[in-house]
Amino acid sequence: MAAPHVTTPPAAAQGGRIVVEDLSKVFGGSVRAVDRLSFTVEPGSVTGFLGPNGAGKTTTLRMLLGLVRPTSGRATIGGRVYRHLASPTRTVGAALEASSFHPARTARNHLRVMCAAGGLPAARADQVLAMVGLEGAARRKVRGYSMGMRQRLGLAAALVGDPRVVILDEPANGLDPEGIRWLRGLLRHLADEGRTVLISSHQLNEVQEVADRVVILNRGQLVQQGSIAELTAGSGSVLVRSPAVDTLITVLQEQGLSGDRPDATSLRVRNATAAQIGHAAFVAGVELHELTEQRFDLEDLFFALTQQVPGAYAAAPPQLPPQAGYPTGGPR
Amino acid sequence: MIRLIHAEFVKVRTTQVWFWLLLATIVVSGLLVVAQVAPSDGIRHPDEVPDLFAAFAATPAYLLVFVLGVLGVTTEFRYQTITPTLLQTPSRWALVTAKMITYAILGALYALVALVVEAVVGVPWLSSKYSLHVHWGNSEVQRAIWGTFAIIALFGIIGLGIGALLKNQVVAVVVGILFLAVLENVLVAIPVVKHVFPYTPNGAVQAVLTTHGSRTVNGIDLLSAGGGIVVLLLWAFIPAILGAAVTLNRDIT
Repeated sequence: MAAPHVTTPPAAAQGGRIVVEDLSKVFGGSVRAVDRLSFTVEPGSVTGFLGPNGAGKTTTLRMLLGLVRPTSGRATIGGRVYRHLASPTRTVGAALEASSFHPARTARNHLRVMCAAGGLPAARADQVLAMVGLEGAARRKVRGYSMGMRQRLGLAAALVGDPRVVILDEPANGLDPEGIRWLRGLLRHLADEGRTVLISSHQLNEVQEVADRVVILNRGQLVQQGSIAELTAGSGSVLVRSPAVDTLITVLQEQGLSGDRPDATSLRVRNATAAQIGHAAFVAGVELHELTEQRFDLEDLFFALTQQVPGAYAAAPPQLPPQAGYPTGGPR
Repeated sequence: MIRLIHAEFVKVRTTQVWFWLLLATIVVSGLLVVAQVAPSDGIRHPDEVPDLFAAFAATPAYLLVFVLGVLGVTTEFRYQTITPTLLQTPSRWALVTAKMITYAILGALYALVALVVEAVVGVPWLSSKYSLHVHWGNSEVQRAIWGTFAIIALFGIIGLGIGALLKNQVVAVVVGILFLAVLENVLVAIPVVKHVFPYTPNGAVQAVLTTHGSRTVNGIDLLSAGGGIVVLLLWAFIPAILGAAVTLNRDIT
């Protein structure tokens, strides 16, 4: 996949910080869609913007982009509110939904409108179409596009101005596994070039694969922000199954380990490694039937923070092992 | 601003509406010539010759350009292209100004096409059959031609403003056509209320284009030609300004 050639000086990268300060939006006088939200998004990283449906993600992005007027607070990009950016197309590229195209206009012409408004050469349209793999469909009307092709066109539109900030709302929707893999590589590449990449998503597995940081939102309020490593550090646990659970509890307590007991024959031990527990059990002569390290992943964190049971989260795909059909973009 | 106007022209060029409305303009202009010349009470007197060129702007044919203007904004809402448009041009004032200039230019181009059709069909017809010759330097002929340019260009902006104000494509087109083609004609027949007629778009159009005969409609005096232009300017600018200041500033969700 052709990579966009950009040289982003560090000073310019600094100009790409997104700062949301005390941002609120009340719709119709009573619906508090976003409630005193504050967070920052740093250049040079991919930040996942997460929350259940209706958490206020899209409203927040639309306030950031000057499409929705905040009730209070402000959101800035490189220190400026969107409406005051000198050249928005060259500063921020955003793809909000996969339907913002005139159905009778071709992909190429859609981008050419953007080139004209942004003062870019018309040839830039063909460059970004090639970048997203749509060069073969460039002269076809968007009416005949699949969801995945519309997503790619939205992405092309976001990248047309070679922006230092890229904001994508649910970019993986409608993409096939190959497309998702490609998208992940592209987002990584954009961040590595020093750009600020903010993606909202409900596909937590996808976000965990690509994001460096996450901002988690629930009912319009910030629940947590930080790097994935920070947020999940020290929160792993080990599942132990044994016919002699009571004895095992005593043994583990002597080691200073604690946990909970999901059922009569098992324990979930926090802040321990499988080796530690296996060794303690072996020394004490306690029989073990299972010893499994459980990584506390983003999905667990998400549900823990947003107080939802996994089954109630309709949009979440079934839990798959990471390698089952979704090749990873590289070691993370 | 040049960039934004260029972008608006690319938008128009890359969909098909302009073509169908241009085709309609050509056909309607041709039919208007026939309607002006063929009937026994058609153009027979030299004083009536300017009517040949005033026909497109003096009849609801101007609705073609009005609709072009309406679609210039409402299509953006219908297909949600307003989102990328406002992302590229966050200033609603800049966007509306660019659209106003674009649609005024487009209106003038459609007026040019209509005038050329009227000239090509009507001038030889009048001269060969009725020995009526067009004196291009004649001030009444000039008034019909330049008045048509001005009126049609302004109807492009009027359509745009109504579109910006109402946002909904069907509502804006229906309201516009009902008002311009039906309601105004009813209004002029109602006592008392009819006194507002000179300040309606049609009243203003008649004030600009009436070159001979009575300058009253149902006993109501028309404004001067200049007054008519001012009224049309108000109809063009007030909705567009309200659209930029109020409607387009609403949350785009």
